[in-house]
Amino acid sequence: MPLIRKGDAEPSAPIGADGDVIAALTNGTNDQRWAAARAAGDIPGGVQALGRALATEADARVREAFFTSLVRARSLEAVDAVLPHLRSDDANLRIGALDALRGMAATAAPRLPFLLSDPDADVRLLACEILRDLPSADAVPLLCRLLEREDQVNVCASAVEVLAEIGGPDALPALAACAARFLSEPFLVFSIKAASARIGAQSPGHG
Amino acid sequence: MADGDKRRVLVIDDASLVRLYYRDALERAGFEVDEALNGLEAFEKLMMHPPALLVVDVNMPRMDGMTFLRLLRRQAGPIGSTPALVTSTEAGVQDMAAARAAGANFYLTKPVAQDTLALYAAMLCGIPA
Amino acid sequence: MTEEEFQRLCDFLYRRTGMLFGEAKRYYVERRITERMAATGATAFASYFARLRGDVRGEIEQFVNAFTVNETYFYREDHQLQCLTSDLLRERLKVKPRGEAVRIWSVPCSTGEEPYSIAIWLLENWPQVDSHDIEIVGSDIDTGVLEAARAGIYGKRALMRLSPELIERYFEQIDDEHWQVLEDLRGSVRFSSVNLVEAAETRPNGRFDVIFCRNVLIYFDDASRRVAAENLYENLAPGGFICLGHSESMSRISPLFEVRRYADAIVYQRPLEAARG
Repeated sequence: MPLIRKGDAEPSAPIGADGDVIAALTNGTNDQRWAAARAAGDIPGGVQALGRALATEADARVREAFFTSLVRARSLEAVDAVLPHLRSDDANLRIGALDALRGMAATAAPRLPFLLSDPDADVRLLACEILRDLPSADAVPLLCRLLEREDQVNVCASAVEVLAEIGGPDALPALAACAARFLSEPFLVFSIKAASARIGAQSPGHG
Repeated sequence: MADGDKRRVLVIDDASLVRLYYRDALERAGFEVDEALNGLEAFEKLMMHPPALLVVDVNMPRMDGMTFLRLLRRQAGPIGSTPALVTSTEAGVQDMAAARAAGANFYLTKPVAQDTLALYAAMLCGIPA
Repeated sequence: MTEEEFQRLCDFLYRRTGMLFGEAKRYYVERRITERMAATGATAFASYFARLRGDVRGEIEQFVNAFTVNETYFYREDHQLQCLTSDLLRERLKVKPRGEAVRIWSVPCSTGEEPYSIAIWLLENWPQVDSHDIEIVGSDIDTGVLEAARAGIYGKRALMRLSPELIERYFEQIDDEHWQVLEDLRGSVRFSSVNLVEAAETRPNGRFDVIFCRNVLIYFDDASRRVAAENLYENLAPGGFICLGHSESMSRISPLFEVRRYADAIVYQRPLEAARG
């Protein structure tokens, strides 16, 4: 029979990265940097080193491993290591940072009010998406407050998109007020109408 | 390309309300619309039903629009040269240049108006006005 | 459930899992909502939806369960087995060093139907089966099911897709209701205990040519999905393939793999060369 059962297999990757993990984050082959990235989250100073190395890492898969280790760390320190990359001009890095923050949304929560009032509209826009993964009791008031004072149409649209999923009837006034401020923006008017319909039409509870 | 394929558009955007808005505009203009929520799903969808046009947003989870475009343009054959209209919240010259470098055929700044989308979709699909 | 609530639910499930629930499935969705609301004590759709969104006690899996084929039986999703012998092994052999064993991983393997199915399928359908060493490993986090897998005893339902000839060839009937996989075949599949989220547990299993990882990743939380995907990536040889469940997609899980379309299935591949980024 050609089916064979061997004893032990060759392990698929180094069981632990050899030598200085932090130095290896920015040196060596893709495979070596990958291994270092996966190990760095567990060692002292690793979180900051991961955040720094992200700025210069060109390989998308190694970057992904950097971000995953930061998500695993799930600390405010890890959140702060990721945050600067939310501002990146590189879409891949920016989205990698957003994905990572969404993976630890509860941990990132203390930073969110600041992100939602960041001078950079792109940051405010992306911050809305992080709220999607928080309990609605916390997220909805923040989104409503943003809608009341936000002047950038795309940021409003981002908030409305999230409210369409997580909002309740208490979000309706803020949505209506926003639509009134942006009557000349057909997409925003359309999406507020759609979001309001989703929120407003709730079947009654029974019992 | 058969007439039916000429009218198939793949809308790639992670916002459900944006996809809804574009679908509304494109279907009224006679297009058939498929949807994907990010660049990864876009590859799956376009392998199943190659579209005549891609409408690709930039900021999408797991795989952003620029990364998707660069990978798309590396594909051999007709799929790799599918026309791509990039949509982005960025209005800067450098952003448009970056999109072109990644392989975009056209660029529209969000929010995209429905008639603008329909107009450029027709142009990029080679459909007379 | 109102039209808007249905829309909201569909949008959420599409975003989270990639599964599309259209009007055609509406009746079944409403029925499942009713069942789950009763099971969880939710008195209104809004409170059930909040529970689903928060994935409280694995509610997403509970809900979606009703729409995927969850029962485990021999030759389940055989289009992927077809793809294995029609395309995947051929591609692997083009690049593998001569004489290197073909290694296939079934994880989670549950009570063993999947790894034994792979073995039987290869013996029955792969013309080159005698020219290669083939190692099949089955792994699961649940040591109870691994025990059952090693024992290899199954009832009629598990065997329902197998012809009488196949059953005759690979099983021994041990009573009215039960058949046992022949000892030779049982002995040639290795079973190991593995938590997909722990690299220390996945790494020792080595590198595989093809991994079947069906109907588990999509139910992990964000962080666990990422880690598991990275672990599986490490367990794939460059150019190796991973097959997910029929209604799953890597697009909700990880950007590490490239999607490949074959006649019988869509599968995912670890790139052959180091990525250009």
